[in-house]
Amino acid sequence: MPTIRPLLLRGTLAVLSGAFCCATLSLPASAQGAGKATEPQTVTMWSHWPDEAAKRGFVEERVKRFEATNTQCKVNLQFIQKSDLYASVKTSVRTGQAPDIFWLEPDEIAFAKSGYLEPLDSHIELKNLEDWARSEWTVNGKVYGLPVEAYTVELYYNKDLIKKLGMEPPASMQMTQAQFTELVKKAAAAGITPLANGVGDRPYPGAYFLQEVLLRKLGPDDYKLLLTGKLSFTDPRVIEAMTWVKQLVDAGAYPKSFSTMKLGESHYYFHTNPGALMFPIASWYTGRAFVAPEKGGQPKGFPLGIMKYPALENSKCPECKTLAVGGSYVMYSRSKNKECAGKLLNSIATVENGTRWLEEVLLQTGIRSDANRMQGIWVLYFKELQERSKGAKFFVGTPLHYLSGKCADTFSQVLNRAFPAGQMSVQDAATQMDAACKAS
Amino acid sequence: MTQPLPLALAPAVPPSGLRRQLDRWFAPPEADSRRTTWPALMLFLAPALIIYAALTAYPVVRTFYNSFFTIADIESAKFVGLAHFAELARDKTFWAAVRNTAIWSAVAPLLDVATGLLLALCLYAGVPFARFLRVAWFTPVLLSYVVVGIMWVWIYNYDWGVVNAMLRSVGLGSWARSWLGDPNFALAALMITHAWKWAGFNMVVCLAALHSLPSEVLEASELDNCGWWDKLVHIIVPMLWPTLLNLYILAFIGKMKVFDLVWIMTEGGPLWSTETVSTYVYKRAFNWNTFDLGYPSAIAVVWFVVVVGFVVLFNLLFRRRERLEY
Amino acid sequence: MTPSALPAGLLTRWLRQGGLMAIIVLYTLYSALPFVWVGAMSLRTTLEISASHFAWPDVYHWEKYRIAWVDSNFAQYFWNSTLVVGAAVAIVTLFGAAAAHCLARYNFRGNRLVYFILFSSIVFPPQIILISLFQVLVEYNLYNTRLGLVLVYVGLQLPLTVYLLEGFFSRIPQDLFDAAKIDGYGDFEIFWRIVLPVGMPAIATTVILNFIQLWNEFLFAVVLVSEPGLRTLPIGIRAYMGDYFQDIGMIATGMMIAVIPVVIVYAFFSEKLIQGMTAGAVK
Repeated sequence: MPTIRPLLLRGTLAVLSGAFCCATLSLPASAQGAGKATEPQTVTMWSHWPDEAAKRGFVEERVKRFEATNTQCKVNLQFIQKSDLYASVKTSVRTGQAPDIFWLEPDEIAFAKSGYLEPLDSHIELKNLEDWARSEWTVNGKVYGLPVEAYTVELYYNKDLIKKLGMEPPASMQMTQAQFTELVKKAAAAGITPLANGVGDRPYPGAYFLQEVLLRKLGPDDYKLLLTGKLSFTDPRVIEAMTWVKQLVDAGAYPKSFSTMKLGESHYYFHTNPGALMFPIASWYTGRAFVAPEKGGQPKGFPLGIMKYPALENSKCPECKTLAVGGSYVMYSRSKNKECAGKLLNSIATVENGTRWLEEVLLQTGIRSDANRMQGIWVLYFKELQERSKGAKFFVGTPLHYLSGKCADTFSQVLNRAFPAGQMSVQDAATQMDAACKAS
Repeated sequence: MTQPLPLALAPAVPPSGLRRQLDRWFAPPEADSRRTTWPALMLFLAPALIIYAALTAYPVVRTFYNSFFTIADIESAKFVGLAHFAELARDKTFWAAVRNTAIWSAVAPLLDVATGLLLALCLYAGVPFARFLRVAWFTPVLLSYVVVGIMWVWIYNYDWGVVNAMLRSVGLGSWARSWLGDPNFALAALMITHAWKWAGFNMVVCLAALHSLPSEVLEASELDNCGWWDKLVHIIVPMLWPTLLNLYILAFIGKMKVFDLVWIMTEGGPLWSTETVSTYVYKRAFNWNTFDLGYPSAIAVVWFVVVVGFVVLFNLLFRRRERLEY
Repeated sequence: MTPSALPAGLLTRWLRQGGLMAIIVLYTLYSALPFVWVGAMSLRTTLEISASHFAWPDVYHWEKYRIAWVDSNFAQYFWNSTLVVGAAVAIVTLFGAAAAHCLARYNFRGNRLVYFILFSSIVFPPQIILISLFQVLVEYNLYNTRLGLVLVYVGLQLPLTVYLLEGFFSRIPQDLFDAAKIDGYGDFEIFWRIVLPVGMPAIATTVILNFIQLWNEFLFAVVLVSEPGLRTLPIGIRAYMGDYFQDIGMIATGMMIAVIPVVIVYAFFSEKLIQGMTAGAVK
């Protein structure tokens, strides 16, 4: 009996303080979420590239101009790291809470196949997109993504170092198999790392060299068959390519810290410390390299050169090259602000913006653009980039745009990590890839 | 703790383990001072149970439910019955993950608890600077997995990491390797990092337990001229047994579901050599480009049953629930 | 060889003590050096670090802390983390202690069943319940709120708290309660006035553990709260860990900032822990 009253008192106190806490904690968000009938539509847009100044600046500028010319639409733009963005988005799309527009790469086409994305055919001017870029986002005849970023897979090299080794690339800028092998051996002997890749935090860079060699050896059609599981990895041409790469690996082509070096670190490894001979990487190399040295960029006056990938003997298509779409923007199929979102995306898809992207970001784009209108200090680099692609036959898409599930996982562990690290034999790698990827 | 069964319920045949367990769970209450009214019980239990029901029980039940479906979208769930479980039995990556997790859970908890106990004994026995040591040895526990992961990635770095630098400085440069990049060493490297982080926690708990032991027993053993090893094995360990068992079970569970450290340092590692069940679940749910939630749910369910099974086993085998009366 | 002037027993004891001291010193270095290294790196710029990884800072760049605090919005994240984690730890300690006390002290049908249910959820990997949890929060309008995150954190740590506290509470001697009952204490007062003070070492341990785990938690914080003004500290640190140039110097600074509150909480609560420990056995 004597315990009831203090009990009640304490209980009430507890409940009151709890209610007060709840009120405080939930207040700010709920104030923002209050319904506004006549207010402008607010489009939530999540993008990657929080720390890539040029790309970020480009997107922010587009959004600002859009808001200025469309007063009934407001944009809530956020920049989030890719891994966090993906974790968030993959959770929220299932429950109707995803942002209206978000950043995606074509290897996540499963979003479209599962019905989470809105087809953009009715929202944007499709003719302002390059055909090959549009095809990377097309499922069942509908286009699901706005391909802002595009890239080719290039082979950068250090002009001074190659001269020091006494070897210069031929006029065609494409070495033969024998020449390239000799180059790698000479570099390794001189203590210079030939190929500066690192696979610590990405599932694809280690395989760049092998995939490019395979593309040129097999030609685009058979290469596509290989990537879709219809051609076996034990095909003699594939084995030949893999054997040659294994030869290079054993000669010391990749750095010792290959398995753990991160992508950003590998850029630094190539151009600053300790400095490598070549760097097989996509042309978004510029995003990390063409900034001030204190921020990790190339040293001033770095002798950057671009080579073509070497072609094996009897390659079907030595002039082939990989072209792919990178960061794109997609619209959520359950968005409540589709009108404004569509207008925003359409405002980005203009030739003018495409050219601006070329100038500011120094990277290709899937939006139609006019490279001849480019200005700025990096024009020479861009001209060289275009030179290398002259007469090239493009294969659209990187392996991870075609592989999925167990096959993609095996690709990442075997062809990207273990094989270039010298931890697997050619036969082993081929068998494992077949086991995981062969289309039944 | 044994409770006498009311005669009406006592079967003629001695009950099997499961029956005994169930009887124990649902036995009517005994002595009077350990009973109380339902409203009071509810007051104590309700807040925790409500939050638990909404935020833990529901998602867990939902996961169990999902494991029988293929789920690409909220609307389209296709019932597949036990197909996921059948596929699980054939999944090589899953078994690699199980093997790694099993190795970790078998080796690490013993090491953790033993280290914690030994460190606690050092402090209890009174080494100089005990207070400073207590803090220094506990700092790793305070750090987040992100911090620990990054630090140790730097420590294991091939070119300039501490481990390789030390090896090279004593002339063992040939032993230097890319620790996290080599399938043979990556798992061991991760285990060391994880143990590094948690040793301090076990130490603190053991220390608290040591201090709560009655000093007369320890003094008596001193008089009897016991060597320190005998003291340890015959007196300290038995008296600390509930604490040690608790720590072991906690460590065991922690290793069975280890995720954060692995994810940050190797993401399942070179050639699946550090793939654990939790990282595999995460990959299937979030990274594989299929949106299927059913399969990872099936993995979670199987693993849940396995771990709970082990914990119940440990309890049945080792738990002694006497109250310490002294 | 001249026989030692010291008795053999003393020599072995010296050796053993010497060996013990050596082990202790080594272990202390092993334990604390990485932390000191990060601390040193937090005061150097990334360029300096890349040039020489292990050197002590020769210019102390204290302004890096200011940069992190101001430019990267750490102040906001810090405040959110404090609010969310503080509330979560307070709530989980209170609810968990109440439940643990009830399960440890009172007999009722289904006591062990409830305990088993609560305990078994420790086992579940949080990654898989993330999606269902997300759904629950959306349904109750708690998505993107700090309150939602608090409740999720409470749910996350509740099983462990109950498990640890129940183990400790159940070893408190029954005589204490019988005496209290005789003195006319009610159930709630027994809990408030006897169990909580007596169980303070265990409670301090769980507070420390919960605080550490929740302060550093990032998976749920990333997914369940997307509003930038409501984000917690681990997100802030990850901003430096972009796939861009790894800004090692700033990462180190961010780490140090994140660690400081945890150290403070630990320092405070470990005092309680030690007091509890050295107060001796429960009599």
